[in-house]
Amino acid sequence: MDYFLIGVLVFIAAGFVVIFIKGNLKGISFLLLTLTAQIFILPTAFQVLISGDSIEKIIQFSEPIGNAAFRIDPLSSLFIIIISIGSLFSAIYSFEYLKHYDKRKYSFSSFYFFFGLLSASMLLVTVVQNAILFLIVWELMSVSSFFLVSFENEKEEVRKAGIYYLISMQIGASFLIAGFAWLSNLTGSFDFNSYKNILSAQGTLSIILFLLFFIGFGTKAGFIPFHTWLPRAHPAAPSGVSAIMSGVMIKTGIYGILRIILLSGIPERGLSFFVFIISLITALIGILNAISQKDIKKLLAYSSIENIGIIGMGIGLGMIGLAYNIPLAALLGFLGALLHTVNHFLFKSILFYGAGIVYQKTGTRNIEKLGGLIKFLPFTSMIFLLAAMAISGLPLLNGFISEFALYLGMANSFSFNNAALNILIVVGFSGLALVGAMALIGFTKLFGITFLGNQREEHDHQPSEASSLFLIPMIFNLIFVFIIGLFPASIIQIISNAVGQFTQVNYSTELNSVFVVYNSLTKGLLLFIGIFLFFFIIRYFLLRKKEIKTFKTWDCGYQLESSKMQYTGSSYSLPFLDLVAAVVTQKTTVETEKEIFPSEAKLKTSQHDFVERIIIQPLLKYVRSFLNLFAWIQSGRMQQYILYGLIFLVLILIWIIGVR
Amino acid sequence: MLILFQIFILLFAPFLFLGIINRVKAIWAGKKGSPIFQPFFDFQKLLRKNEVISKTTSFVFRIAPTFNLAAVIFAFLLIPIPSFGSTISFNGDFILFTYILGLAKFLMVLAALDTGSSFEGMGASREVTFSSIVEPAFFILIGTLALLTGQTSFASIFSMLNSSAGYTELIEILFVAALFIMILTEGSRVPVDDPNTHLELTMIHEVMVLDYSGPDLGFILYSAGMKMVLLAVLAANLIIPENFSVAYTAIFLLLIIFITSVLIGIVESLIARARMSHVPQFIFLMTALSFIAFAVVIFFLRGGIK
Repeated sequence: MDYFLIGVLVFIAAGFVVIFIKGNLKGISFLLLTLTAQIFILPTAFQVLISGDSIEKIIQFSEPIGNAAFRIDPLSSLFIIIISIGSLFSAIYSFEYLKHYDKRKYSFSSFYFFFGLLSASMLLVTVVQNAILFLIVWELMSVSSFFLVSFENEKEEVRKAGIYYLISMQIGASFLIAGFAWLSNLTGSFDFNSYKNILSAQGTLSIILFLLFFIGFGTKAGFIPFHTWLPRAHPAAPSGVSAIMSGVMIKTGIYGILRIILLSGIPERGLSFFVFIISLITALIGILNAISQKDIKKLLAYSSIENIGIIGMGIGLGMIGLAYNIPLAALLGFLGALLHTVNHFLFKSILFYGAGIVYQKTGTRNIEKLGGLIKFLPFTSMIFLLAAMAISGLPLLNGFISEFALYLGMANSFSFNNAALNILIVVGFSGLALVGAMALIGFTKLFGITFLGNQREEHDHQPSEASSLFLIPMIFNLIFVFIIGLFPASIIQIISNAVGQFTQVNYSTELNSVFVVYNSLTKGLLLFIGIFLFFFIIRYFLLRKKEIKTFKTWDCGYQLESSKMQYTGSSYSLPFLDLVAAVVTQKTTVETEKEIFPSEAKLKTSQHDFVERIIIQPLLKYVRSFLNLFAWIQSGRMQQYILYGLIFLVLILIWIIGVR
Repeated sequence: MLILFQIFILLFAPFLFLGIINRVKAIWAGKKGSPIFQPFFDFQKLLRKNEVISKTTSFVFRIAPTFNLAAVIFAFLLIPIPSFGSTISFNGDFILFTYILGLAKFLMVLAALDTGSSFEGMGASREVTFSSIVEPAFFILIGTLALLTGQTSFASIFSMLNSSAGYTELIEILFVAALFIMILTEGSRVPVDDPNTHLELTMIHEVMVLDYSGPDLGFILYSAGMKMVLLAVLAANLIIPENFSVAYTAIFLLLIIFITSVLIGIVESLIARARMSHVPQFIFLMTALSFIAFAVVIFFLRGGIK
């Protein structure tokens, strides 16, 4: 445990040290310290995860925190590993990414400072078991990431996105504060373990508390309808930050939900239904919106919402399994959720890294202006393609492994006498298939339009292949994408202790049956690779002695080809968006000159987030009109503000003397 | 025995399937038609030919047909053959079945976008749109069967289904009907798509592969036939009773493949290709059938079949 805490301190120290170092050494010293932190953190975390024995340290703080327990159990250790490795890679990537910026205009010191602080606070979130301290590190995490999001703060849209992000986080945190305050009031303690009795009791109180925490943590994770900050903050942040926020930070929300479930014991049946349904909706709406986006990073942000939904479905399925006592559903549900957490970290980081490279090399994130990048960035494109396949849940790669666990868990949770459960499961079953099919549309669009075909617009410079520091983190993640995709049994073995915490009873027979399934899956996939290689070799021999001619693409006899005639991203996704026009509103306005022979016309399309328009905006309107009633408090006159301070002091004085 | 029979199907069925469809259409139109083995001759010729590749394309374009072929053959190995058994079978194999075909689709779609042609982009766009309707419907079907039988692999689902009585015939009929729509969609046949059209603007699958030639086109031709055959074999699993002897099963199975191809030929002769905007409605028929099957199970068989 001490080693872990030292590691956390090294992260913070890394941020501090950088302030006093000048020039190029800044980044290098930060990288070296982050690397050192890994040496302290990873062995401890892996030891806990593999052995399954948690370690604990109690540190005494002054009031009001009191004794605070720092505990690493298998669940924490899994998240610690993701956070720690994710921070290192994003640091390496950001080091290279920042070279693009003017040193005099941007403060690199503050970037590294808040980066170190963000990593340290995320690590602490997963181990702190004291409500007040938890809220402190939770807020620290939100604030430090806010400063990272608004790195390019000279741009107005970045400032707006940053503030939007900060306010969303505060709204989420207010639910957490309410939940923890209520609990500590009832128990008189800040220790998580003392909340077990209340959270695991049957009745309305535990349900309300669970919902408070679900909303609070769900805002961080990006569950619908609290997802609106993601598509704003991710495009605004530098890519290394987007990667760590999407791949790692939103998972702390998932961690929080899982921690509450651990404390709640056997969940209420209704709650398990609720979590499952809201997650399915999150996944569906997330990917639907992703399909309609033009901005690469916005598309990826919506796809993060989708993946959070998939993780949530796993959690919901696991809760259903616990509530209805279906061992395989519980096991595969939580296994799927945790696996997908790891998987999403791996491929989403790659995709954001790739998006950042595209942005730096071409100066645009609009896929309608890109195209043909595979010729200029062959390695980046190849890695991006594999990550896009992984996130679409295709076999051979890791995304399939976690979705497979969910499907199998659902197929095993049919009951013979509960129609509601059966309907829910079939809806989830086909819903996940729909999510998969839509992910295929979204990511063929993203990769196909951006990297394939011909260049649609000229860029300032001809894009060139990314440097090795950019590629190293991507390749490293990719290796794990393949290992998990082809040999899933190994990773399931490693995380089985974390899953075991949820299933409580010993599910060793079920776990063994899962291993049997995954081992035959591996055999099947290897057979598939064998068949592919067989035909690949046959194709090679068929074409060996022939001279392959290259010619232009078949253009139907048309002579004046132009890269602008290619299918665009919007036209590619249009047939599908027409089908779902009720949910994803794509507004198209055409302006033409009202003449007999109009010479110019303008076409504008914009996408609207259905949920945001229906739920969030009206809600904000009501809140705003209510808060306007208090607008007179903020008058802008200094005298009045001083008066407030005076009144406050007097009241405190009266309270201390009179009431106490 | 199983492997020999599978190789037999793999070698002949896809070509005969396409040949029979064309023959039926020809006879229906009062023509003599090309030999039934014509697709096989075409295939042979294509394998011997040279390739012309667009200079816009990348490696994606080159590996996609091979991947597609491997995926279709692998998917065929996942389907059990009644009385023969299956090559690989495990709980949840139907998930791998759908997703491996999805993998092939992913790459074929990218290969189409790789050419930078607006026609092929159009085909790719339609292909993914329609498959986004088919896949959930297929999962409702399989989910219904899993609910009905309490099993989670193709082999155990089918053997359980065939050995039990009750409403299962109704479910089987609905399932086979839904699968037939899936064959028409995935195989790109009328009314979803017309493989014989000469206008690129109205095509789906054919337009996606406009730029292919030589062995790659041969692979695509074979995969297209094989995809329909494997769905027919899937349907056959529901039709052929459990206690048939191996020889009878083999004949029966080939008969079912034959009948399927004749049916597709008749459908193509009788009805015209649907307008592009009406195609989703036709495919939603499959979704509707799947929901009916599911409703039947929920309402009539909730007690479960023992």
